[in-house]
Amino acid sequence: MKRIEALEVLVSLTSRHPVVVTCAATSRELASVKDGDNHLYLLDSMGLAGSVATGLALSVGPSVPKVVCVEGDGSLLMNPNVLPTGGYLAPGNLLLVLLDNGVYASTGALPTYSPRIDLEKLAAAAGWATRSADTTSGLRAAFEELLAVPEPAFLHARIEPGNAEGVEKLLIDPVSITGRFALWLREAGNAV
Amino acid sequence: MTYAKAVADGIWSAGTARVGYIPSVTVAPIINSLVASDDGANGVSPRVTPLSREEEAIGVMGAVAFTGELGAVVMQDNGFGNALTALTTFTLAYHLPLLVFANTRGGLGEYNSMIHSISQPVPAILRAAGLPVIELDRRSGPEDWQDAVQEAGVHSVMTYRPVVVLGSFWNTDGKVA
Repeated sequence: MKRIEALEVLVSLTSRHPVVVTCAATSRELASVKDGDNHLYLLDSMGLAGSVATGLALSVGPSVPKVVCVEGDGSLLMNPNVLPTGGYLAPGNLLLVLLDNGVYASTGALPTYSPRIDLEKLAAAAGWATRSADTTSGLRAAFEELLAVPEPAFLHARIEPGNAEGVEKLLIDPVSITGRFALWLREAGNAV
Repeated sequence: MTYAKAVADGIWSAGTARVGYIPSVTVAPIINSLVASDDGANGVSPRVTPLSREEEAIGVMGAVAFTGELGAVVMQDNGFGNALTALTTFTLAYHLPLLVFANTRGGLGEYNSMIHSISQPVPAILRAAGLPVIELDRRSGPEDWQDAVQEAGVHSVMTYRPVVVLGSFWNTDGKVA
């Protein structure tokens, strides 16, 4: 499964969900599939997506569908505190999808730890409900299963290294992202 | 009123919805006051939670602003090195209000021989990064600290950016280190 194929599946599943997405190729590929107002692109801040998603999950009202975080293995490894903090605070409305290709794909495909460190086991040890997938159908099924669990949820999706060709850089003013994302939350009548 | 309670009361009276903290012996009385006033115990309450590192605290508490509410972080100033990228590329760049209160180290009353190497330049580092900094010390009383912390939170909301309050507890009723 390529990253953009995984993102196409996630877009089809998340139109009602707040989606926090990590920087660089993941953000720009997600935007190329669909540039939704429910997408909170972190244009830099590598490693912070899980923390931002955790804070959002703690803060939104109970009627908001689960906060979905789209994270990469290199980014998660830059701030692995996301796992114990999520397990400790235990927001049941948080679903972190880890797109794990084993490399820093946006920065020269240098290797991450993930081929030797099982990030799903780390998440499970910290108290997250976990599933794994390496196909688009498996990703869809695991996502739908994790929507029903009461714990913070961790979906470990194995993807191929590499970036989609011909995807333009995401040159949005971050302030406009804040405005439209906050408005999306508010208009949905979902914000606290 | 103690200085610690003044800080805690100032945080709540700013309209803060949620507080995350990274522990230090100096901020512990502030946390205890925040937790006690929020029906909690042992460092945790419905709206007050421990966090493991300053960087993630900026992410977790900065995200509160997307719901139209104010988050706050209570920490020690030697953690700003950890927090700086998140403060700039997230909260500053995305125009997110966030109230940060940090106790200062490395100055008068300090026992540690090296912590001044990060703490002393912190105000200049933060200002160079474009963060507003309010500095408090023994020269004003708890009532002023409470007012200043409260107004810092209000200012953060009004100006859509994080605001940092640095408090030196030397020669107050608090503990420096």
